[in-house]
Amino acid sequence: MASLFQLLLLNQRRSLCTKVPTSKWKVKQVTTSNFNESLEEIKIHISSSDFIAISMEKTGSSLVTPWHRVQPFDTAETAYLKASHSAQRFQLLQFAVCPFSVTDSNNLVAHPYNFLLFPRDELKLGMPAYSFFCQTSHLTSMACQGFDFNASIYEGISYLSRAQESAAKVRLGTNSPSLGVMKSSSPPTIADSVFVERIRLRIKHWRNSCKKSGTKTSKDEEIIISLRNIVLGSELFKSRPCLTIDVCSERQVQLILEMLVDFSDDFLPLVIPSKGGTTQAVRIVLANSKEDKEFMEREVHSLEEKESKKIRGFREVIDLISASQKPVISHNCLNDCTFIHSKFIVPLPSEVDEFESSMHMIFPKVLDMIYLMKKSGTMRKVTNIRNALTFLNTHFFAPVDMEIPDQDTVNKGKIDGLDALRLSYLFMKLCSILKISPIVTRSGNRRLAPELEDFTNVFHPCSTNIQESCSEDVGLWNNNTRKINSEHLVFLWGFKFGMTAGMLKSVLRASHDIFSGEFDVRFVDKSCAIVVFWQPGLSKDFLDVMNSEEIGGGLKELVSDGLRVTCYETYRTMCRLGLWEMDLAESLERALESFVSDTEINNERKSSSEIHWCNDNVINLDDL
Amino acid sequence: MKPRKLPSSALSRALSRALSTSTTTTTPLQCGSAFPSKTVTVSNFEPSLAELRHHVRSSDFVAIDLEMTGVTSAPWRESFEFDRSDVRYLKVRDSASRFAVVQFGVCPFRWDPSNQSFVAYPYNFYVFPRPELAGFGPCNDFLCQTTSMDFLAKYQFDFNACIHEGISYLSREQEREAVRSLNSTHDSDWSDISKLNDVRDIPNVNMADILFTARMKNKFSEWRDGLLQEQTQSDHIQGTQKDSKQQFQVIFFKTHPALKLDGFTSRQLKLIQLVIKKHFKDLSYINVNREASGLQQIVVYTDSADELNLLLKEVKEENHRAKEMKIQAAIGFRHVIDVLSSEQKLIVGHNCFLDMAHVYSKFIGPLPGTPEEFVASVNKCFPHIIDTKILLNTNYMLQERMKKSRKSLASAFSMFCPLIAAGSNSTGLISASLVKVNIEVDDSRSSSWNPGGKHEAGYDAFMTGCIFAQLCSDLGVDFKLHESSKQLASNEKLQNYINHLYLSWLHGDIIDLNTGDKVANTLPSYNLKKRYPNILFENIVIIWGFPTKLKANEVRECISKVFGLTSVVSVYHLDATAVFVQFSKTELVSDFLLLKEKLETSNGPILVLHPLAKLLDGGNTCAANYDTYKEICGSPLSESLFADQAKAVILKSKTKSIEYKVTSRRKEHKNASVEDNEKDAAMKFVEKIKPNTIDQIRNVESRRQASQFEIEDSCVAEANL
Repeated sequence: MASLFQLLLLNQRRSLCTKVPTSKWKVKQVTTSNFNESLEEIKIHISSSDFIAISMEKTGSSLVTPWHRVQPFDTAETAYLKASHSAQRFQLLQFAVCPFSVTDSNNLVAHPYNFLLFPRDELKLGMPAYSFFCQTSHLTSMACQGFDFNASIYEGISYLSRAQESAAKVRLGTNSPSLGVMKSSSPPTIADSVFVERIRLRIKHWRNSCKKSGTKTSKDEEIIISLRNIVLGSELFKSRPCLTIDVCSERQVQLILEMLVDFSDDFLPLVIPSKGGTTQAVRIVLANSKEDKEFMEREVHSLEEKESKKIRGFREVIDLISASQKPVISHNCLNDCTFIHSKFIVPLPSEVDEFESSMHMIFPKVLDMIYLMKKSGTMRKVTNIRNALTFLNTHFFAPVDMEIPDQDTVNKGKIDGLDALRLSYLFMKLCSILKISPIVTRSGNRRLAPELEDFTNVFHPCSTNIQESCSEDVGLWNNNTRKINSEHLVFLWGFKFGMTAGMLKSVLRASHDIFSGEFDVRFVDKSCAIVVFWQPGLSKDFLDVMNSEEIGGGLKELVSDGLRVTCYETYRTMCRLGLWEMDLAESLERALESFVSDTEINNERKSSSEIHWCNDNVINLDDL
Repeated sequence: MKPRKLPSSALSRALSRALSTSTTTTTPLQCGSAFPSKTVTVSNFEPSLAELRHHVRSSDFVAIDLEMTGVTSAPWRESFEFDRSDVRYLKVRDSASRFAVVQFGVCPFRWDPSNQSFVAYPYNFYVFPRPELAGFGPCNDFLCQTTSMDFLAKYQFDFNACIHEGISYLSREQEREAVRSLNSTHDSDWSDISKLNDVRDIPNVNMADILFTARMKNKFSEWRDGLLQEQTQSDHIQGTQKDSKQQFQVIFFKTHPALKLDGFTSRQLKLIQLVIKKHFKDLSYINVNREASGLQQIVVYTDSADELNLLLKEVKEENHRAKEMKIQAAIGFRHVIDVLSSEQKLIVGHNCFLDMAHVYSKFIGPLPGTPEEFVASVNKCFPHIIDTKILLNTNYMLQERMKKSRKSLASAFSMFCPLIAAGSNSTGLISASLVKVNIEVDDSRSSSWNPGGKHEAGYDAFMTGCIFAQLCSDLGVDFKLHESSKQLASNEKLQNYINHLYLSWLHGDIIDLNTGDKVANTLPSYNLKKRYPNILFENIVIIWGFPTKLKANEVRECISKVFGLTSVVSVYHLDATAVFVQFSKTELVSDFLLLKEKLETSNGPILVLHPLAKLLDGGNTCAANYDTYKEICGSPLSESLFADQAKAVILKSKTKSIEYKVTSRRKEHKNASVEDNEKDAAMKFVEKIKPNTIDQIRNVESRRQASQFEIEDSCVAEANL
């Protein structure tokens, strides 16, 4: 037993890997305590920058099962569905923002910030998130990198998305209707006019008493005035007299507001909301003069602004970036944008087109660095930013000077959130290697270099075809990606456990004539494989054969052993229904069960069904 | 006040009052360090476990407490008055299977006759479900409730310690699964050792590969020839070794000469495998999995095929053993649970039904579908459980003492154990009725201390144990006469309380773990004010997806217009998207569902003018009976709004209902009588599922004594605060 525990300890110690060596770069850490001043700072930096690099730390990444990731066989639609699945489940713990400006083709000035986030329910409304998922393996690997969970959970900044903000305002009642007079919708009833007259009289008395109190100051009068004030319900609002009138319906509010127009300009009506979002009372403030009234209006407005700033929290930063319309640099455009959209804007739409156009409104240009590296042929397998940087450093000579002006004032030497800074550095390096000018023309419309325009807003990493021209000098990339229609794909499962792709391919070849032509087999996970027919129409024939009576020979044998097949459409339905089981085979089975019933999902969408089949992913028997 | 007992929307008002008062009084303490409890992480787990095992064995009872990452996964999963006990269990099951346990407090108590006092050994384990064995749990992901995390943060919970150094675990079920899969690969093939299958999967061979292969072939043949010529050429081999930067190390593997391969990429190793297989009959490539050094690749020389087979068999056994050890090591924290279970000690908790559900789902296996099954399985593992909350609330005498104060753990602690709560035993004026408790940590005993950090599992377990000891003494249990816990558990004065847990504190439903029966709460003072009339579950319809602006009274108004003023007994909001409507008669349930169905199929002017139009506006309004509600609660899906959840659950079982619609439409054509059609619909919605035994008892009782307790006022519903 003792040795067993030694082993346990050994294992666990090994898993608790050592902290990464600290870098010379430092990033300003922003928590609730210094959020407000940092916001002012970053506002200036964003407006003076050329690009804004972003990166985030999430509580999970959906990497447990291979097929939950975006795969080469995914269409734009299924890729989006996968990304939105994880964006809805997981939360953000850090959001690193690094606005930088390019001063020269190999010199940049960066202002890195790292915002710690936690979806704290500040308003007690169950927002921004009632609950969220954590992926154990992801948290463990974050722990290995020395992530400080306490800092995020204790001091993380909260936020509300745009949709949540308006919902919260309704529920808190801060969503005050405009102070202007709304035209009454229905003709006034007798009860209405009685109410209006009563209130008009009350206001008149109150106003007169207020005016009088300014002139006469005998002691008796003062007592009478104060008594009258008590009776009339007069009080002070910002050292000005005011009168609060309780109301019991929105209709009454409207009537009061309309009636006040008849009086002179020195009344400022304020609507006091109740918790439920309805109006509880109207407070009428008597201003000293017209200027005074305007001043008060401004004051009230800024008060409201302050309140909603508190509600927005970190989203203020997203709004700033969005308002600046600067190009955003991200590590993985699809993943990052789905997170931003669902956490800070509105819940993700169900259609990818809707998402793309909605995202375009928020960030008009997002550069995907992985895609840039892959497509430009610098590097074919980019796993993370740090690896990419080391790769570039060892393979290319492209000196880039990075200036971080606030380096000395940055607090406590924390290095969390370095990735955004690394991204900006990586971007400059890549531009220099690819001989793209990163300098943004400042005259009039901000324009990116045309080469870069190709890499913006890539929400489907495999879709657009980029000419190979820019990669002549690199020559690492030999393109053997073939464009195929998703119709040519067939999902296959229920074969004997432990088969390899090669074995499966030869079994299939022997089973039926359909497999005499050219086809490829690839495993998606251990339970399910994909078959690609290079000859059009064969996939349909295969499916037909599988469903027909006269199935025979080796294929019959396989089917009797439990072999199942389905077309790409089932996979699509499965993603749409959100059937994310651990094994793809299990999910497909469940999708097949509900497939027949759901007609709304079945509508064909040919336009986006093209995918790219990359030959190096395929294990080809002929090569052996 | 625990993170898991946060306000349900139903009780929010009552609770928020309680919460706000208690949070102001319990401002976070700097740290629990002043309280002597032992904090256990991976670094000191092994010695602590050995120590704990010893303490548990000699203890009279063991108090436990858990901290988790949340209680309810969505607002509609919170506890409601309209929850039948089986629904309540499904909600507990949902909670226990989604959220993670992050801290586990264990505190054995031993009666020390020489000092006439108890000795407590508080342990505070950090637990984290780190995946130690790829593919075999403990879990891929878990849920966090934002408010609970915030709550833990307020009490200075150390998330870093938990995630960086928390002890992982495997449940019994997961261990079995891992062993089973290990055995199945063990029996299947040799692929594990000499990965021949993989060798074939090398795509596009390029020039570099060919050159490398040739070089390797040379190296291996040199080495083999050297072996064959015995020692004469040994110098030469040493030379090669240096050249290749220690990539080859000559060793003896089980008395066979061998080369240990180091520093090759996986592709190079594959190529080496290919070379060996193609060109060398007497060499073989072996993967060895050793405890100390992990996975190693070795090329071995054997004289004959027999010898090779023998060797391979040996290696296979060894690899198997290494994997078994790894599984054993991954059990981790479950060893603590196994100790508690095997020692059969009396387990003491405070409102611990959810705790037990967590213990079961994390360390035993997936939670069963019904409360009866669950209770039976728990009883097998832990035959004696006692809940201090039950003791406090069902005993009349104790109830009297607690009357005025809140029933939170901390307030009960300061009420029943004032001296211990103050941190000392040593005052001269100890009243005879107060039980003395000393704390022993790492063999040093202390009789005075500073109060610990609240909501630290170790301290909470200690408080629970102290309350229990005091309550026992108040009930007249004489510890001096008892030798072992077996006797304490069978003490007749405790028999009315042992193995009784609150299934639902809100209802006062108590479940007996021995029998699975529901126990009526006999205490008259328990029946406080009632807010809702008796709930008859068969009279309930759940409606969702209606226009969001609709308020409960408007729903009532709508329905009353159709079925009469007295038809609706109560309307209750589940969340913003769903309501429960309780009818006065059972028939009204089916009447309502039929009418709704009819209105939806006929899209004429009748619909617009019908009183129910307001409710059906928007076309998304759905309604179903109580059993559908139960089904929706039992679903593993998790949507934050009830309407979404219901939609998702029903989408999955849609095939069934579509078939139904097809058949019913066909009938419509055949015979014009709508009645037949309606009957079909009724069959669909009001299919009677046999109520559970528990509820039969419940319903019988509630009918018999209408004035008896049914619903308890939510003011007392504040649980385990």
